[in-house]
Amino acid sequence: MFTTALAAWYRSVRLNYALTLIAGVTHLAASLYCLIARINPFPAGWWLAVDPLGAFFLIILSHTFILVVFYSPGFLQRMQGAKYERSRRLYYPALNFYLLANTLVLVVQQYALLWVVMELTTFSLVPLMYFYRTKESLEAVWKYLFLVSLGLVFLFVGILFLSLSARGVVDYTGFVVGSMTDAAPRLNPLWLKAAFIFALVGLSAKIGFAPMHPGDVDATSNAPAPVGALMAGSLRSTAMLALLRFYQVVALTQVRPFAQRLLIFAGIFSFIVAAIYMWRSRNYKRMLAYSSVEHLGIIAIGIGVGGVALLGALLHLLFNSFGKTALFFMAGNLHRAYNSRDIKSITGLTLRLPWTAFVWALAFFYILGAPPFGIFFSEIFILKGMVHSGKWWLLALFLALLMLIFIGMSRSVLRMLQTPDTTPQSAPGTATGFRERFNLSHALGIYAIVLSIPIMLFRPASLFDALHSIMATLGVTS
Amino acid sequence: MINALTILFCLTLIYLAVSTRLSAYVLILVLQGMLVAGVHTLAFFNDFAWSHVVVAAGVLLVRTYLIPVYITKIIRDLDMRHGDSTRRYHPGFLIQMASIVVGAFVLSNYLSGLTPVPVNVIPLGAAIAGMGAGGLLIMRRSLLLAHVVGFLIIENGLFLLAIGVEAEMSWMIELAGFLDLFVLVFLMGIAMNHLKTHFPEGESDDLTGLRE
Repeated sequence: MFTTALAAWYRSVRLNYALTLIAGVTHLAASLYCLIARINPFPAGWWLAVDPLGAFFLIILSHTFILVVFYSPGFLQRMQGAKYERSRRLYYPALNFYLLANTLVLVVQQYALLWVVMELTTFSLVPLMYFYRTKESLEAVWKYLFLVSLGLVFLFVGILFLSLSARGVVDYTGFVVGSMTDAAPRLNPLWLKAAFIFALVGLSAKIGFAPMHPGDVDATSNAPAPVGALMAGSLRSTAMLALLRFYQVVALTQVRPFAQRLLIFAGIFSFIVAAIYMWRSRNYKRMLAYSSVEHLGIIAIGIGVGGVALLGALLHLLFNSFGKTALFFMAGNLHRAYNSRDIKSITGLTLRLPWTAFVWALAFFYILGAPPFGIFFSEIFILKGMVHSGKWWLLALFLALLMLIFIGMSRSVLRMLQTPDTTPQSAPGTATGFRERFNLSHALGIYAIVLSIPIMLFRPASLFDALHSIMATLGVTS
Repeated sequence: MINALTILFCLTLIYLAVSTRLSAYVLILVLQGMLVAGVHTLAFFNDFAWSHVVVAAGVLLVRTYLIPVYITKIIRDLDMRHGDSTRRYHPGFLIQMASIVVGAFVLSNYLSGLTPVPVNVIPLGAAIAGMGAGGLLIMRRSLLLAHVVGFLIIENGLFLLAIGVEAEMSWMIELAGFLDLFVLVFLMGIAMNHLKTHFPEGESDDLTGLRE
């Protein structure tokens, strides 16, 4: 809050960068401390608390945020001229506000307050999404604002129904996660079912579940690369946490199988929609946005299957944020060099942008679940969960859809990597003697991708203990 | 008395169906704002607390003054006084709206029989009708400002729903909700101002640039 206010006050982009960097580093350090030391910095009884679930999602948020902050000076340096002056000035204050709003969602424990701060996350994104101030970005902002706000109306209905389920059990002052989970077995199952349905539908627009995904896809694919990375890497996870706050209560009641079926259905439907669009997409940023729809679908399926698949789903949330950050950073480099988002316009990539092509290819293998990267392991956990629970039909469908997406995405990515150069020599990036040098964006991309390997190799106890503790709060003992 | 006010709320929805002028939409928002503030005051009349007064004052300020004044300003700035001129009064829209209102009360009655929790059938029916009517307005009218009005009518329905199911919330959260609503409408207004330069008609049919 402090850095948001300061960044809004000062007009110097350089000073605001320093403030944002301080905010990001402090946030990451505090999040790691809360996760490792299992500490809740807020007094007991407050509507704010850091529980293991919140701490895990705080790590995802702050890690994505700090990578975006490192990437931002290079991005803003390219955005010169009067056209971008206002956007440049608003960029860092909006980034700080984004961090504040998302942090609030992750630490708020009171359900009605959760709805208020979810709205804040939408507002915080508007100046960032409208950075280019083009007709397309405006259309994307309008659709996102409208669809997500309509979705949040459904979320509010879900919250009302949740309060109805607790009528006579807890009063409105006890309408917090802890009290609700304590009272879970005594909640009215009918209203609890209705609450979960409305929460799922309401948050779908923000998470990116089909059929509520179009606003999110348009916004992610038309936003600047660092904003796309934030949305795909952290905002969807934040919205997923809001859904998990409902699931936390539902998982301890007889309504749990119903909620699990609903999550599997939402996941499969998103998976199918992503598979179809992956074959049709002509725009590489849109392809990445649909990849997010696919991966959030996988995560929903993992949560729905339960058991070891839940561990896979949690890891998938983390690893998906790594991969999406790298992919969006490279998409930013591509857009800068080719001034187009059209897959067909990307020619001679390996010659013109060798480092970007390398990281792009690496990130592509990562996101498709190739070993030894993290997503491979998280998907294995999810598949293992399906085998353990005897959901063979789901396993077969999951593998078939994964294969379809693999082929669909490979067609586009390999075309981008292999098409020989056909652009005129005067095009940006093709000046005589031009050869792309290794820069910070490549280092950040490689770091984000490679980070998942030691995590799965060494399995740090602090992280995995926290994950098992989260699984216990979601009704899974391991 | 609460029942009378919520039935009046439903009548404003019928008025919505026969009107295409934006000034009439603003009038409907003001009327609905007054009605939901009245319903809120009456719902907590026997249980006086300053927090209820603060929330009722917040409803009146945001829903009957700030938002209508702001929407009127947008209409004036964007020269949209003629409203949804391409779509004149259409009896089909009235029939659909009436069906939604009737259907909402049938659904409310059905829901009240499903649960042991006491539910106020008439406010709940009006709330469902408000939410359905807002959705119908968004689907049937192409003017972007009509969509904002539809969204606000859904929000009014939502407020009635909270009263219909007797959900009690902290006054701080209710006020934060109003603030959110106002900021949202404010942002939509800014977006509309910019949209007007790219899409002079201000209609949703123009927003097709991102389709694949």
